[in-house]
Amino acid sequence: MRRHHLASAVVLILMLGASSPAHAAKPDDNPATQAQGKVIFDRTCLWCHGVTGTGDGPAGWFLGRYAAPRPRNFTTGSFKFRSTPSGDLPTDQDLFRTVTKGIPGYMPGFASLTETERWQVITYVKSFSPAFLVETPVSLPLTGTATPLGPESLDRGRALYERFECHTCHGVEGRGDGPVAQAGDLRDVSGLQIQATDLTRPSSFKNGATLQDLIRTLLTGLDGTPMPSYASRLTGTDHDGWDLAHYIRSLSAESAP
Amino acid sequence: MLRRIFILTVGTGVLILIALSCLVLPNKAQAIPAFTRKYDVNCTACHTAPPVLNTFGQRFLENGYQLPGTEDGGFTGKKKLGDVTLDDVGKYLAFRLVGNAVRNWSFQQQNPAGADAGVVENKTEFTFPENFVLFAGGTVAKNVGFMVELGHDVEAGETDVERGFVSFNNLGAHNLAHVRIGKFDPSAFYSVVTIRQQLNDIGESTSSGCTPYASCSLNRVGLGPGAFATKFYGLYDRSGSAISPFASTLYNSGGEMGIDVHGRPFGDSFLYQVGVLNGANENFGDTNKGKDVYAMLRYDYAKSDYFAVNFSGFIYQGNSNVQVQSHQDVNWNRYGISTRATYKMVDLYAAYSIDRINKVPTGVIGNFDATATGETIGMDTYVTNSTLLSLRYDNIDAGGMMDQRTSASFIGVQAKQYLRTNVAIFARNDFNLRKTDGGEAAARNLRNAFSAGIDIVF
Repeated sequence: MRRHHLASAVVLILMLGASSPAHAAKPDDNPATQAQGKVIFDRTCLWCHGVTGTGDGPAGWFLGRYAAPRPRNFTTGSFKFRSTPSGDLPTDQDLFRTVTKGIPGYMPGFASLTETERWQVITYVKSFSPAFLVETPVSLPLTGTATPLGPESLDRGRALYERFECHTCHGVEGRGDGPVAQAGDLRDVSGLQIQATDLTRPSSFKNGATLQDLIRTLLTGLDGTPMPSYASRLTGTDHDGWDLAHYIRSLSAESAP
Repeated sequence: MLRRIFILTVGTGVLILIALSCLVLPNKAQAIPAFTRKYDVNCTACHTAPPVLNTFGQRFLENGYQLPGTEDGGFTGKKKLGDVTLDDVGKYLAFRLVGNAVRNWSFQQQNPAGADAGVVENKTEFTFPENFVLFAGGTVAKNVGFMVELGHDVEAGETDVERGFVSFNNLGAHNLAHVRIGKFDPSAFYSVVTIRQQLNDIGESTSSGCTPYASCSLNRVGLGPGAFATKFYGLYDRSGSAISPFASTLYNSGGEMGIDVHGRPFGDSFLYQVGVLNGANENFGDTNKGKDVYAMLRYDYAKSDYFAVNFSGFIYQGNSNVQVQSHQDVNWNRYGISTRATYKMVDLYAAYSIDRINKVPTGVIGNFDATATGETIGMDTYVTNSTLLSLRYDNIDAGGMMDQRTSASFIGVQAKQYLRTNVAIFARNDFNLRKTDGGEAAARNLRNAFSAGIDIVF
């Protein structure tokens, strides 16, 4: 049993290491870095996010037309994809992850920019919101012990899926067809209608589909959407997050990323 | 009258059936052709409504099928040959199937009377599919892109490489010079792009058995952008085949062989483009040995909320690129301006061009108007999340042989319903604004054209 926990800990450490895609030296947040980031932003990001970072670039409307999603408004300081508590700013690593991997269906990954260029553009993006000057965001720890996939874990995960009422939006089978979703009642912070994620298609998960990606999403929620944070309900137990993540992944026949 | 009512009823019924099918088909966003699969984004990342590009898509195209501001051709989407799967192949291949399920033509009378048994005063045709295009495109290495479009026109029974070129990008410095070599659409970076129209071209109908250097009777005019059209009656290619007054040509051709260079070395607001082509309607080889040249300058503004506007102007200089009825070479030139503005869901555009034949040969000089003009003004707008309305006005003030030329003005209206992001049905109607002018020319006789069909890309 002790050997099993040790192996799990090693796996967890390796996974956390793998979840940090940034390796290049991060340049200092200074006016020079910001100026270099602006050059990249104007070439690459402005078309959707707009010259003032409010998400109103000329191509932005067509992404969702009359429905969500629209490009992120950087000036509000509200971000969906974070490792930080709901309502907090994202860490630089969070922004780096989104810029690098993109958002399936909506934003391409910009891994083709050098790591330095990505850090530079992140410095510029942060300049749109004064909140980044006064807050220092801190990631929530990934809680619990990594539990292996097995019938027991899946059973516990299924129970949590029901207890947390995930099915009301995502549906019993996870197809994004729960009653609330079908009623068209899901809306984002700007009032635009959105769809619940189809959990049977992990490749469409906007915040990533690895186990730690799922746990991170469960812990932080997706600010500005009806997806709440389950941090207060998951932190008290040792393996709940992993069990629920295992169960969500089991809803799909797609191989794990 | 009863027949027409029957035809319209059947056509409407077909449309209703197709529309009802959207109620049972899933209506979820899907990543579609090659580039959306490669970058894992929806088609609306690059298109206002396919095939029309938004500003992000325009910059992607300018950058040689690499994300704007990047040089991602080196590795994105690449695998070792042994690891390639069918999904990976899908990142390079796509197809488009588009056509009218039903078309209805309303003529004032046969044109010319009794000349063509296939042309009656009013007729309805079932025609789907009319056009199938297979795309292969992407990057083969950092800053080296390619695109091949193999098209089959079912109606004409022709298969052709509509476009096929390689591009070498970011030569010298980022955005300094991008070079395309092969068969490409010269107007790809113009404000109003020939091959990216919501209202698809409907080709003209001519009498069969046209002899070289003889006037070829038009039974029905073509319905396409007036600014892009030939506009001249009585022009021939070097084999003596008549060139349609309604076909897109010169700078606005859908595909010509040559070399093209474009870039933005003077900042982000200005795009330059220069090119050399074999010449109008030349395919492989160059029968006249003279080259046509062109230059285009475009100004972009994209720094207001949800708003972008651009203006373009070009000069196209022909060099013995066409012949007249007397078998003599002439230089056929074009000068054009255009503009496009998008605000939220509204896409407005306009183009104007003047065509000019320099030095009309003595053989036709008394019967040849050396100047012709064309205008196109249009608008596309989403009225719901999945319904696109398009409106376009086209006018041709025709030139060429004065005993043949007839100017034409049409308004086209189209409603397009997206069942999925890659599947749309449409209904279109074109009205003749000059029908009251009378006469037996095709531009007067065609009173109304209705069509309804489907557009699929995957």
